[in-house]
Amino acid sequence: MLRLVVLLVVAAYCAADEGHSHCCSAEDRNIVQKQWSVLWQDTESSKVKAGFARLILLKLVEAKPDTKALFANVDIDHPQGGTFTAHCLRIVNAIDMAINLLDNQEALDSALDHLADQHHARSGIKKEHFKAFGEILSGALPRLLDDYNIFSWRSCFKGLYAKITSKLDA
Amino acid sequence: PLPLTSVEQAASTYFGALRLNLKMKILIVLAALAGFIAITSASGCDKLQRLKVKSQWSRAYSSGHDREDFSQAIWRAIFAQVPDARALFKKVGGDDTTSADFVAHSLRVLAGFDITISLLDQPDALQAELTHLKKQHDERHIPDNYFEAFRLALGHVLPAQLGRCWDKKAWSDCFEVIAHGIQGH
Repeated sequence: MLRLVVLLVVAAYCAADEGHSHCCSAEDRNIVQKQWSVLWQDTESSKVKAGFARLILLKLVEAKPDTKALFANVDIDHPQGGTFTAHCLRIVNAIDMAINLLDNQEALDSALDHLADQHHARSGIKKEHFKAFGEILSGALPRLLDDYNIFSWRSCFKGLYAKITSKLDA
Repeated sequence: PLPLTSVEQAASTYFGALRLNLKMKILIVLAALAGFIAITSASGCDKLQRLKVKSQWSRAYSSGHDREDFSQAIWRAIFAQVPDARALFKKVGGDDTTSADFVAHSLRVLAGFDITISLLDQPDALQAELTHLKKQHDERHIPDNYFEAFRLALGHVLPAQLGRCWDKKAWSDCFEVIAHGIQGH
């Protein structure tokens, strides 16, 4: 009986919060991890990962031109160059770290807190940039991953973005 | 045996041709590899070693809880060798390797290491990442023997994780490239 009550309360909470979008249940996390892992199965995956991140960042700059200056010190003017490629991998690996920590809420919070600090330290980064980044990423992932469960990804990534942007002023 | 229908005959010729094709392809690949080895086997951490390290790393690095355990093993092996190194990690929960802050930190470090390994075959980007990591480490004044402890920890945890499919020489040659890049000497 108690279990049922707890379940109903959780269900009500999730339903109230913009139609299930905030839950990131154990099964959601499982699905996200499994679908994401496909990216890492090949030895040459670094080229795929860097290429994917490059595409997303360039699209971000296209959608939000004021972000271009934020990537000046990683040489966005030469997106194929070594400096920008390395930066692309840093971003993919940060996402990878977060996804792989989805099962360890406390460590995930600590990791995201650190990322929030790193983004807070760079003036000019705004929440709307992350919103655009998220939209571009969620539009691109299903084109890269054959298996992509939009509901699981959306519910888990909402929490990730909220925490990474939590220290931004604007 | 029953006589073959024309469809079956066609199929058997087709698969026969495929088999021949495959043999030829293997020969061509082998010949190319032999040439490749002749060109690249001169120095330490050569192209083939880099590919080997990359693939062995991606197996060892694994994912999810396995990665957390892998990371724990490496950091415990480091602190067992150089207990003083814990002081460097005070801000990120170094007193307890199982703490959330330290799990997050240790995975951050491995994520950086993962980037350098995945870039072993892309020299420009590798150099950029090593420069970036060097900058992050410079201000922390890390003694050389801590890097050595990291190398030795990897030297024990990797084979434990990978079994016999682990090439010690390739790892020590390529680790040197990465460590030197971060240390700057």
